Amino acid sequence: MDFKDYYAVLGVSESASPEEIKKSYRKLARKYHPDVSKEDNADEKFKDLGEAYEVLKDPEKRAEYDQLRKYGAQADGSFQPPPGWQSASGFGGGGYTDADSRQFSDFFEQMFGGGQGPGQGAGGFRQTVRMRGEDVHARLALFLEEVFNGSEKQVSFAVHEADEQGRVIARQKTLKVKIPAGMREGQHLRLKGQGSPGYGGAAPGDLLIEIELAPHPSFSVEGRDVVVTVPVAPWEAALGATITVPTVGSKVNVKVPKGTSSGRKLRLKGKGLPGKHPGDQIVVLQIAIPEQHSAEAEKLYEQLAEAEKAFNPRSKLHL
Amino acid sequence: MSDRNSILTVEVMDENGSTFTLHEVCERGECHAEFVIKLVNYGIIAPLEPAAEARQWLFDVAALARLHKARRLQRDLKMNLPGLAMSLELLDEVQDMRREVERLSRQLQQLTDE
Repeated sequence: MDFKDYYAVLGVSESASPEEIKKSYRKLARKYHPDVSKEDNADEKFKDLGEAYEVLKDPEKRAEYDQLRKYGAQADGSFQPPPGWQSASGFGGGGYTDADSRQFSDFFEQMFGGGQGPGQGAGGFRQTVRMRGEDVHARLALFLEEVFNGSEKQVSFAVHEADEQGRVIARQKTLKVKIPAGMREGQHLRLKGQGSPGYGGAAPGDLLIEIELAPHPSFSVEGRDVVVTVPVAPWEAALGATITVPTVGSKVNVKVPKGTSSGRKLRLKGKGLPGKHPGDQIVVLQIAIPEQHSAEAEKLYEQLAEAEKAFNPRSKLHL
Repeated sequence: MSDRNSILTVEVMDENGSTFTLHEVCERGECHAEFVIKLVNYGIIAPLEPAAEARQWLFDVAALARLHKARRLQRDLKMNLPGLAMSLELLDEVQDMRREVERLSRQLQQLTDE
């Protein structure tokens, strides 16, 4: 079993006062709250924080923990509780805390679980009361191609349910889900009855999936529109041309109007996100020049500069 | 697991998708109606027809997801309602800005690559 250094988790020293511990916990809880933080392991960090604070805020548990810390650490860095260890403060009896101890680590469970299962305190209550199962939230990232074509995805998430002893445990659940075409970022899907099971014969909760869009190397999405930047040669922009532009999963020919400036947008009706009201594809034209010109081309540019002397591209800047 | 082998067809929740009554969101959010009414009064969540009486309110799934989020923040960070309202608004703003920054930096990347 790994030893959990609760002082390190909270970023405080062993001699920290209760006020310092509280202050540090509050600050880090704001920082790592999974609804606030964008860090990948925010969930894990927030859980560790809650667990560390649960022990260190309580003088009795803190004293026990300090003892364990002193005598339980092994030479190889692993951890064994001292022989005959049993927590006097106990945790599983219920009513001791309002924290959700189902979330805590094996280390916590072994040290402070008091031999009973987590969530045991509510066991009797759960047996007799009918209670609808929890809704479970999950996020699912889709590639743009999947948004266009629809897809079949595997979704994994944890549900809470009671085991034979009435203890609440987290169970990993995996479903194969058919995602329809045309989903937008932030849109939700509901899978009825796929959340946590209900208690006492009550209905299970739902699984609510929030859709995210994975970044695409060429296309970006604005609402229902798909935006793509397409380079054109200076002569194509000046003279007009028919060019091929990519669409998601295909390509189309479009006419670049004569005298196009960099940044000009062309709208391809109905080529955006599919759906009842499909979006458009916006093509942003960008003038690109070759890295190196031939001597002949340079001469032609010089002629061009001479012929277009009157043109001031910086007139808007009053230069 | 047997779950994994069967493919489930989902219900898309959008403007025309299913809605939840005040009673249903309370049950799902494990909270009292008073709390939901306060969230509505603070503009944290909104029913589809805000003019209607609370008994007739209907909420979409986005409002339900927001209610869950508000409950988590309130429980974990001990926030009061004005703080909750402001935090959720700022979090929305941050999320929009993050997306915008991501989009713009990708565009910029494309421009400088070419």
